[in-house]
Amino acid sequence: MTTSRNYTDLFLPISAWLTGFDTTELQATGMTATYYATITTKNTASCIDDFFAQAELVLQEGGGDEDKTNSLIASQLFPTSCYNNLAQNIITMWYTGEWAPDVNAAPSLAEAHNISPNAYVQGLMWTAASTHPPGAKQPGYGSWADPPIGPPVDAPLTSISNAR
Amino acid sequence: MDHEYDVVLVGSGIAGAVIAKTLTQAGKRVLLLEAGLAAGMALSPEPSYANYQRYLETFYSKANKATNGPYPDLPDAQSPDVLQIEAKTPYDEGYLVQNGPLPFASDCLRSPGGTTLHWLGNVPRMLPNDFQMKTLYGQGVDWPISYDDLKPWYEMAEYEIGVSGDVAAQVGPDMDRSNYGDDYVFPMKEIPQSYQDQVWMKNTENLSVSLYGKDYNVTCVSMPQGRNSIPNPAYRKTGIFWNDETKRLELAGDEPGKYEVVGAIWDQNTGNRCEGNASCVPICPVQAKYNALKTLKKSDHSKLDIATQAVVSKLLVNDTTGKLDGIEYKVYANPASPIYTTKVAKGKIYVLAAGALENAKILLSSNAANSSDQVGRNLMDHLVMLMWGLFPEKVYPYRGPGCTTYLPTFRDGEFRKDFAAWISPLDNWGWSWPTFAPGSDVSNGLAAGKFGKALRDSLADTVTRQALLHFECEQAPDPNNRITVSPQYTDLLGNYRPVIQYDASDYMRKSFEAAKKVGDQIFAANGIEDFTDYNPSDADYVTWKNRGYTFWGAGHIVGTHRMGSSPADSVVKPTQQTWDHDNLYLVGCGNMPTLGTSNPTLTMTALTFMAAEAILKQLEA
Ligand SMILES: Cc1cc2nc3c(=O)[nH]c(=O)nc-3n(C[C@H](O)[C@H](O)[C@H](O)COP(=O)(O)OP(=O)(O)OC[C@H]3O[C@@H](n4cnc5c(N)ncnc54)[C@H](O)[C@@H]3O)c2cc1C
Ligand code: SF4
Repeated sequence: MTTSRNYTDLFLPISAWLTGFDTTELQATGMTATYYATITTKNTASCIDDFFAQAELVLQEGGGDEDKTNSLIASQLFPTSCYNNLAQNIITMWYTGEWAPDVNAAPSLAEAHNISPNAYVQGLMWTAASTHPPGAKQPGYGSWADPPIGPPVDAPLTSISNAR
Repeated sequence: MDHEYDVVLVGSGIAGAVIAKTLTQAGKRVLLLEAGLAAGMALSPEPSYANYQRYLETFYSKANKATNGPYPDLPDAQSPDVLQIEAKTPYDEGYLVQNGPLPFASDCLRSPGGTTLHWLGNVPRMLPNDFQMKTLYGQGVDWPISYDDLKPWYEMAEYEIGVSGDVAAQVGPDMDRSNYGDDYVFPMKEIPQSYQDQVWMKNTENLSVSLYGKDYNVTCVSMPQGRNSIPNPAYRKTGIFWNDETKRLELAGDEPGKYEVVGAIWDQNTGNRCEGNASCVPICPVQAKYNALKTLKKSDHSKLDIATQAVVSKLLVNDTTGKLDGIEYKVYANPASPIYTTKVAKGKIYVLAAGALENAKILLSSNAANSSDQVGRNLMDHLVMLMWGLFPEKVYPYRGPGCTTYLPTFRDGEFRKDFAAWISPLDNWGWSWPTFAPGSDVSNGLAAGKFGKALRDSLADTVTRQALLHFECEQAPDPNNRITVSPQYTDLLGNYRPVIQYDASDYMRKSFEAAKKVGDQIFAANGIEDFTDYNPSDADYVTWKNRGYTFWGAGHIVGTHRMGSSPADSVVKPTQQTWDHDNLYLVGCGNMPTLGTSNPTLTMTALTFMAAEAILKQLEA
């Protein structure tokens, strides 16, 4: 079964609302195509169709208003009971690089895998915490002796409203 | 009898690598038997790079970042794995057969390069008083050698590992300049202390804490580390050589500014500085951190034969001469298949460097070196108690090497008569050890209904404030903490699996109470909100005076074939020759009679250089 259409146009904006990272930040990970492929292979086509139909409504009704959109997400997309927990799985995927249902179903911790090696490296939880994934994107000799440099990652987000 | 090799050596961890390098450079022919895969033994640029990148890809791909994760799991030569530690005993579904009452909680790695592939690389020296625990504090045993005896060998070990640190900063109980000597410096300058350490220090340096009616002054000291920093121009040593005239191993050179940083095995120009990958355990991507392959690579390879996928199973002891006639080993082609060929290696001298668990196992399997009945006994580790909490301000953890600062205050004192001493590293990696943070912060956030900006903000607010204080408590030797073997428990090749009996004595439990009392005062002084949670479901949960504490293993597997001054109660002489077989030497942390509060590898490496000299002397006699 395939989905009734390709939803990549919606995947990024709804991911931005779900994760708190704007679409540019998400795209900069280089993971968009991999993650879209992950959700479509790990869920039934009807689940994907229904999720994105709802996501489209949420974005339209929210009209870019932060409070309104968040409250629609909270009631229509986020609950575990909705769409096989897809919204939360999407968040975990962007933040950690894991497809949570697969990690939870692994026969042992040693056999639990990330979506791909690069998915781990691109995990956004490290960015959220003003650091880098251990073992990658190393900041250089002695960098740890000072507070992190670079754009203040916890500053107010300006471009989240480029979600449609 | 015609011996092909001067020495047959088992294991290519740091102990084995030091023996291989020192002996071959002195012109001796060595056969190295290594249980791990041939691919991991690659030392030339392309294959070693390709192999190491496979480790790194595996590390990235695994959801759990446990210590052995990046490295191949070999059914034919299994390693203990921290992920196999369960909160129940007896338990025999992992590699270790855990008979308890508590599970032994540390692992090691069977692979070319051994456990240094995933060690952290903290290398403080032991204290002089650590060598006299019985005389001074009535605990455990005294060493047959003193700190002063070991001092020149420490310098060799610090050269070989390539230690970065500040000697002048090493001040604490039983520790000052005189431990090192007036002019001594480490090969490289100190690794910068983390930003987080600097915040800790504001309220911890010179903090007065009280414990059982006595006051102690807490101080913070930069940790000497086996990872590359800037060469110290004042360092004067240039190499370790066997002096044929004096029959001594010498740390030679007297020229400042000549120290050469040792880079990655695939490229001398990679990893010349620690780059702050913050993944030293379990893998340093650039090999700025020392690993034993660096030493092995420096061997004289025209004198060194290496057999990989060669698992030593038995020593062939000649009952008439009391000597070893050979070593039996099993060679596998496929690490998951029970098919193997048995071979025998012969040399003038045999050296076991297979790590404390496997050395003891091989001896017990062969009924060797055990007239004292001490083989396998006195298994020790540092029992690690952790305390975690949130700083009032952002300290930005998860950056830099695992530890750049430690508190030396409780490493020595009269209290050692009563409870165990400890060293307190300040950890740079947040709550990752006890809670699997920050992944757990994401899932906790979701469970609390957070998403979007609220989730991002909560991570930015809390993960950046995570503090972890760490107590490595010195386990005292106990003959009942031991490894044995039994025909009931074998692996795929028919070799024995280690059967472990293990507990934490009252001496240890009281130190948890003491450490927690000190930790509470340090947290309070720093305004840290305590989130520590010791749970009866934790694998190593113990109680003392009706309060519960959890400890973790430190990976410091020590004491299973201890050294001593009498064959009645020890397995090896100070030279590390076994009392029972004069052509058998043991090297590794198994030789250490007590543990002290230092991570053990530096001390063990110093001992291994001592053993290398003794072996060379015996070969030349
Ligand atoms: C997570 C972790 C962190 C650590 N951090 C530190 C630290 O910061 N500082 C410190 O001082 N120490 C640390 N340690 C301890 C340190 O790693 C060990 O003390 C040290 O690596 C032991 O070296 P070794 O050569 O004696 O043994 P190993 O490195 O274990 O090597 C044993 C070798 O023998 C081989 N072998 C085993 N059995 C056989 C057999 N039957 N036949 C043939 N070959 C065999 C193995 O494959 C391996 O190559 C840490 C340990 C762990 C687990
Ligand atoms: S901090 Fe990074 S570069 Fe430095 S030793 Fe650790 S892993 Fe290697």
